[in-house]
Amino acid sequence: MSWADIRREVLFLIRRKSVVALLVIATLLSVFAVWTGSVEVAQQRATIERLIEADKLDRSAVSKQYNDYGYIAYYTFHLTYAPPSPLAFAALGVRDVYPWKHRIRMLALEGQIHESDTQNPELALAGKIDFTFVVAVFAPLLLLLLLHDLRASERAAGRYAFLMVTRKHRYNLWPLRTGIMVALLWLALVLPFIVGAVVNGVSAGLTLLVAVVVAAYLLGWAALCYWISRVNATAPVLASCILGVWLLTSFIIPSAGNVFIKDYYHGPQGGAVLMTQREAVNAAWDLPHETTMTAFLKNHPEWTGKTETSSLFEWKWYYAFQQVGDEKALPLAQAYQQTAQDRYQAAGWVALLSPATLLQRQLTRWAETDATAAWQYNDRVRAFHAELRHFYYPLLFGNADYDEAALKKRPEFDLDKKADR
Amino acid sequence: MSNRILIIARDEWRYWQRSRLSLAVIVIALSLVAASVWITRTSNSDTAHQREHMQSEAEHNFRDQPDRHPHRMIHYGHYVFRGLPPLGTLDPGIDALTGNTVFLEGHRQNSATLADKKQSSGLTWISALTPAFVMQVIAPMLLIILGFSTVTREREAGTLEFLNVQGVSPLTLLAGKGLALFSAALVISTPLLVGVLISMTDGAAILPAITFIASYWIYLLIWSAIVLPISAFTRSNTLSFSGSLTLWMLLCLIIPRIASNTASVVIHSPGKLETDFAVLQQLREIGDGHNTSGPANSALKASLLAKYNVESVDELPVNFKGIVAQQSEANLTKVLNQFAQKQMQQQTDQADIYRHFGWLSPMIAIQNASMTLAATDLTNYHLFLRQAEKARFDFVQALNKLHAEGMTLEQDSNKYRSNAAKKAATVSADNWQMLSQFSFTPLESGARLHNSMMALAQLIMLFGALISTLLFLGKRL
Repeated sequence: MSWADIRREVLFLIRRKSVVALLVIATLLSVFAVWTGSVEVAQQRATIERLIEADKLDRSAVSKQYNDYGYIAYYTFHLTYAPPSPLAFAALGVRDVYPWKHRIRMLALEGQIHESDTQNPELALAGKIDFTFVVAVFAPLLLLLLLHDLRASERAAGRYAFLMVTRKHRYNLWPLRTGIMVALLWLALVLPFIVGAVVNGVSAGLTLLVAVVVAAYLLGWAALCYWISRVNATAPVLASCILGVWLLTSFIIPSAGNVFIKDYYHGPQGGAVLMTQREAVNAAWDLPHETTMTAFLKNHPEWTGKTETSSLFEWKWYYAFQQVGDEKALPLAQAYQQTAQDRYQAAGWVALLSPATLLQRQLTRWAETDATAAWQYNDRVRAFHAELRHFYYPLLFGNADYDEAALKKRPEFDLDKKADR
Repeated sequence: MSNRILIIARDEWRYWQRSRLSLAVIVIALSLVAASVWITRTSNSDTAHQREHMQSEAEHNFRDQPDRHPHRMIHYGHYVFRGLPPLGTLDPGIDALTGNTVFLEGHRQNSATLADKKQSSGLTWISALTPAFVMQVIAPMLLIILGFSTVTREREAGTLEFLNVQGVSPLTLLAGKGLALFSAALVISTPLLVGVLISMTDGAAILPAITFIASYWIYLLIWSAIVLPISAFTRSNTLSFSGSLTLWMLLCLIIPRIASNTASVVIHSPGKLETDFAVLQQLREIGDGHNTSGPANSALKASLLAKYNVESVDELPVNFKGIVAQQSEANLTKVLNQFAQKQMQQQTDQADIYRHFGWLSPMIAIQNASMTLAATDLTNYHLFLRQAEKARFDFVQALNKLHAEGMTLEQDSNKYRSNAAKKAATVSADNWQMLSQFSFTPLESGARLHNSMMALAQLIMLFGALISTLLFLGKRL
């Protein structure tokens, strides 16, 4: 194989109108995906900026309005959020379904954390074009159009035998042509991505990693096209076969897998979690204070001896029963979460049969836009809620007099503090 | 003439029976549609059952509460669940993406929580295997494989000339081939038809159900009318196939997503969280219903004192705290609804941009027609939120009324003094029976038909355009 061979084949390929047209389509799609993905991510960041501002104003207004820790804790919301990672522009993932922002207050958490403030569901149904989608779903189809008639077209044109006889080396012709085609498509897809990655501040290592994975993915599909194209059949029949593989691996296997997984992993209904928690919290109003406090002390022994109440309503009792309500619902909430995790994990096995899904899982993992990232954010919110409670408990159980300065030490949501998982 | 069309169509079917590829395509398509109808039906009836169960449990729990202070019940709150309309088993629309339950309580409009998608394996990231998706995206692809060679095959084999010489006019040939292709499409759609019939026994209204299946047939006609001319006017099988497939990619995969991206980039819809801050700002000006001495309530106080001709709130025949709660809930709800309305409008505007792409892509048009007719679209989701809000307001205000009339201000103010005082500031549990049963009522069939008009017009326009092109070019085959 020499440079002359490569040059000849490249020129041959880019002189074909259909090849150029498909490469242009690929480039345009990739540019569009990278561009709108970047806009989307920028909008999310801007939203978070605005929310942080509004949250500050809101909190200071509440602090001015009340002068009692109980009331302040009741009326103060705290913003929590998970900003998009640099790579998120290329893999938008499930951020349109799982919440990435919450406002949390001292009340029972189970009543708050399932709230969803998501984007337009009708647009979410249509799905979005992101770089991941372009590569995982479109690229195989483009490869199919580019490669399926590699040999068949030459056969149809009557050049096949001639080409076979004149080639110098067995790798010179079909593998070379396939390789060049894959390389051209890879460039068409990856160049816009690299520009996007630079603009969005993705590290060079990760950018390279994504480019390599995309190349591997394309090569996999190209190998399939190449292998099928050896069969002596007409081009449309070959293309139909490849299309069949694409349909099977990209849609049917994942969908069927989803049905089985959904059937296999059963967990409590989300509604059950919410209702259990509500019953526990509300029933507490009618229970003797000691009952609640005993239950509370089980997990918070440090407040032993400070749980005496002298009137029918006291904030420390109120927040204690909120917490006890959460603790009662916790096993259910955990089981609910576990079911989601089990399902997602089992899907990893199904993904082995679906390259498109495998690629999507990997890219969204790197971009931290997958379900796992959403759960990590959830855990972070739970941890923050705990910090908040442990900030207020000494003030409430210690019967401290109100001092606005104490609020300065109130925990702030810190997104960098990763929850343990 | 018509006899010839039938002969050509029958001949095409005969070819399909002989060709392994074509036979496989028909079998695959039929089983995919059937499987999707069956799977979606089973899983949806499960979901519907669970939601109904939880709905009645929520209502029982509410009615079974003991004697209490009415305001406690406002914070005890209530859950409502969204049921699935009968045709939702064929097109679940946005059901899995939206929360399916709302917690109703005083002073707050909570968002719908617990979207099913959050419990999903993530495997359906491209799409779930619903009948709607199979019919909208996969069926056209299979029609392409079935029909790409209808005319080019004859051309490549040289039989086209032969037919011409025998006096088969090009239009007759195209009509015959088109008939064959569409009849194959009809065969593929039979499980969907069965599904629609079953939904009708489940209570789907007749007119939307008929329009639902008819719109899918128009959609399949459109695809037959796309595949056929491409086959008629390309030189070879290969070109015909690549051309149709490229068009399919564009119409079914690319344009819908471009439309979705465009809509969300063009109209920025701030989420609920962001709106909440604006709401809070306004609410602070209104005053807090828990705080009777707030400045916002002084006018109310003055007018009540004048109305009952008394000197102080203690002498009022009603509980002033309850009146304040009633009044402030009404004011607050007005503000909340204003903002909720605005947010729904923004979402609808976004969806409208998306829907207008239906003039370009029949896939977007059928998707809209289908969801709208099945009552699983954005409009019906918003309707659910409105119905939930109405239920919230009704029960909260009924409880506030009890608060105002069921106890004196003195009883109410002293409720934390002692257990006896606490007991005195309660109303009987019989009052909790006032909660009305909730079940989501989707838009009635007339409104659904009306809302689907644009999508249907898009389908018919596209079909008309294709047919006229075919008639125009068909003479020169």
